[in-house]
Amino acid sequence: MQHESTATSMISVRGMSKLFGDFVALDRLNFDVKKGEKIVILGPSGSGKSTLIRTLNRIEPHDSGTLTINGKLITDKTDPIQLRCMVGMVFQNYNLFPHLSVLENCILAPMRVRGMTRIEATDLARRYLNQVGIPDQADKYPIQLSGGQQQRVAIARALCMQPEVMLFDEPTAALDPEAIVGVVSIIDELAEQGITTVCVTHEMAFSRRIADHIIFMDQGKILEITPPETFFTSPQTGRAQNFLNQMLRY
Amino acid sequence: MPRFFLHQPRMPWFQRIAVIVGLFFVALGQMGTARAEELPSFVHNGTLTICTNPTLPPMTFVKGQDVTHPEGFDIDVAHFLATRWHAQLSVITMDFTGLFPSLGAQRCSLVMSGIIQTPSREKSFDAVPYQDTALVVAGRANTPALTSMDELSGKDVAVESGTSYVTRLGIINNALVAAGKAPMVIQQYPTEEQVVQQVLIGRVFAFVSQDVEIFFRMRQLQGKLHILLTPDIPDYRHFAIYLRQNKQDQALLQTAITALETDGTLATLRNKWSITDQSTKNSVNTSSATSIFDWNAFFSALTSTAFLHGALITLAVALLSHIIAITLSVPIAIALNNPKRSVLKIALEGYVALFRAAPTLLQLLFIWNAVPQFFPIFREQWFTPFLATVLALSINESAYQVEINRSALSAVDPGQELGASALGLSRRDIYWRVIFPQAFRIALPPTINEFINLLKTTSLASVISLQELLAVTQIQVARTFAFTEYYAAALVYYLVMVFFFLFLQKRVERRFTWSDRKKVVSNAA
Ligand SMILES: Nc1ncnc2c1ncn2[C@@H]1O[C@H](COP(=O)(O)OP(=O)(O)OP(=O)(O)O)[C@@H](O)[C@H]1O
Ligand SMILES: [Mg+2]
Repeated sequence: MQHESTATSMISVRGMSKLFGDFVALDRLNFDVKKGEKIVILGPSGSGKSTLIRTLNRIEPHDSGTLTINGKLITDKTDPIQLRCMVGMVFQNYNLFPHLSVLENCILAPMRVRGMTRIEATDLARRYLNQVGIPDQADKYPIQLSGGQQQRVAIARALCMQPEVMLFDEPTAALDPEAIVGVVSIIDELAEQGITTVCVTHEMAFSRRIADHIIFMDQGKILEITPPETFFTSPQTGRAQNFLNQMLRY
Repeated sequence: MPRFFLHQPRMPWFQRIAVIVGLFFVALGQMGTARAEELPSFVHNGTLTICTNPTLPPMTFVKGQDVTHPEGFDIDVAHFLATRWHAQLSVITMDFTGLFPSLGAQRCSLVMSGIIQTPSREKSFDAVPYQDTALVVAGRANTPALTSMDELSGKDVAVESGTSYVTRLGIINNALVAAGKAPMVIQQYPTEEQVVQQVLIGRVFAFVSQDVEIFFRMRQLQGKLHILLTPDIPDYRHFAIYLRQNKQDQALLQTAITALETDGTLATLRNKWSITDQSTKNSVNTSSATSIFDWNAFFSALTSTAFLHGALITLAVALLSHIIAITLSVPIAIALNNPKRSVLKIALEGYVALFRAAPTLLQLLFIWNAVPQFFPIFREQWFTPFLATVLALSINESAYQVEINRSALSAVDPGQELGASALGLSRRDIYWRVIFPQAFRIALPPTINEFINLLKTTSLASVISLQELLAVTQIQVARTFAFTEYYAAALVYYLVMVFFFLFLQKRVERRFTWSDRKKVVSNAA
């Protein structure tokens, strides 16, 4: 199954499309993400950012074109569980399991999917809870935590699977400004450690700081793939220009 | 289950010896003839099964605490018939209205329940008379006697439902109306003791029954009743045993009854059960109807094995049915929550709609009386009233439980499934570790509610002869006439059971600390 991918590419997308009925949500996308690279996806609401990021761990299967992750061609026959061990994801609304404590949230998948013992998984979970700065909340239930704390748990939970790629879908969109700073700094730190990152966000300063490339989308198409300096100073398309004007107004 | 070998009723030693000696000679006499004599086709595998509604003393009634062991004239006659045919006797007790459907469904060989021989019944079943009787109208002791049925014009009259009295009173009513008089107001009750009670409490003016029963009641109630009128209605002169139509069987049964009459067995039994004794002196049963509330009767009912047994059956039926219903309903709910249309989904929707719409009582009667006509396997011995009730209630309850589970499952945030699958959890783990625990919390209170309803719904199963708590209560009331005390005892049992499960619900809910703060963790895209 090893073909059509450059050795250094962690993610390779070629002519990938996604339809919802007749509606073209993703239209023949092409891009590559190198190992360790940070990509930020920008674009107006409804442009297909979430859809794109979900095709990367096959929560939404794509309809045509090819997707290669870490040298593996991803098709109907790919074991989705194996893929998701490799690609972690963090959602805007955390999606923590409310009936499980913070620690149980973190150790469930390592135990059930990776087959770790409870002791191994707990060790790992404590390490990542420590890394995201909430080592003392392990025994609380999600409902007892603030939004920022919940998003940190969600990040730690994804990291416990020790993925090669982390996907973030607007991780700070539901948070208040103070909590945003904390969560952003955690993602900054992760990026520095060299994990391949694809992030959808509206945090412009953050994008500029961490992104190796900006992917700008509109109406299911990729309009620009550029380094952030270029994108923020001299966007090539009118729509990107428009988008930036609107974003900066706030 | 109400199947048993009949045991010999208690009697004085000299009578006992006389009966045993008599039996010996009867048996001797039959050795020669019975071998040659053909067995009726309704005796299967050496078993004679009779259906009876044990609320008509002295013909068929429950004398002691054990409701599965009715006694009476009919039961003794059945015993002698079984002996004659070298068969074991099995007695099934049920509501009166269930008797003929059960005979039709081949659940029993014979119906022996103090039933009058009437031409209308003989259109569907064959009958063999075995005891002379007369229709009588009875009322409270201080009511003046009547001279003709016409005097009942405009009065309230109680009868047992499903009996031929209902039709007969209808005919008299037609005559009354034709003569320009007001008709009687006929009230129907499912059991005979309720009929009598209506007269005792003064709700109705009179009730209609057979002389033998009224003699018994007069003794039992120590002169609170008396006979108002014995109209000579030709249709009401004989009690008969009913069988499915078969001329040869009818002839064999007739021969057997004639033999019992000739050798004096029936005469002995008539004497034993005081069939024609009108005296009110030697009351066998002490009636509790004298005081307002007899605490002794109440406590003895409360602590009786009959009530405990009835309550356990009620509990077992409800628990088993609900467990099966929940097991059925979870996959159905998951299938129905799938947004895609499919043939399976339409079929399941039909299933849920049908069993939510049909009355539970109808479903019980259908499974017990109608289904065996299409699938003979359901009339075999293993298909007991207990199993039939569990079957009917499981199906019925699963339809309701599907709705509870559906709404519980869709109340779980779709983001949960998303989050779980992004972590690589298998479908199985997503359901068992993530969705079910949350849906369980949501479904728990309405499910316990359903269970409490189900616990009470089991009382319907008395119509198919299940000896659950309420059926036991009614049979015991027929014996003692202690309405208030026995109803109160039954109420205590229901309350204890229901409160136990409410307590359990509270305990289980307390374990869901994670849902303590009512903060919504909503998660869509
Ligand atoms: N399951 C679905 N079925 C049908 N249409 C969908 C589905 N999911 C997304 N879409 C449509 O696809 C388009 C892209 O949606 P997507 O959620 O990817 O946008 P987005 O760029 O993430 O927007 P936002 O910034 O508001 O999150 C939208 O028009 C949306 O209505
Ligand atoms: Mg989105």
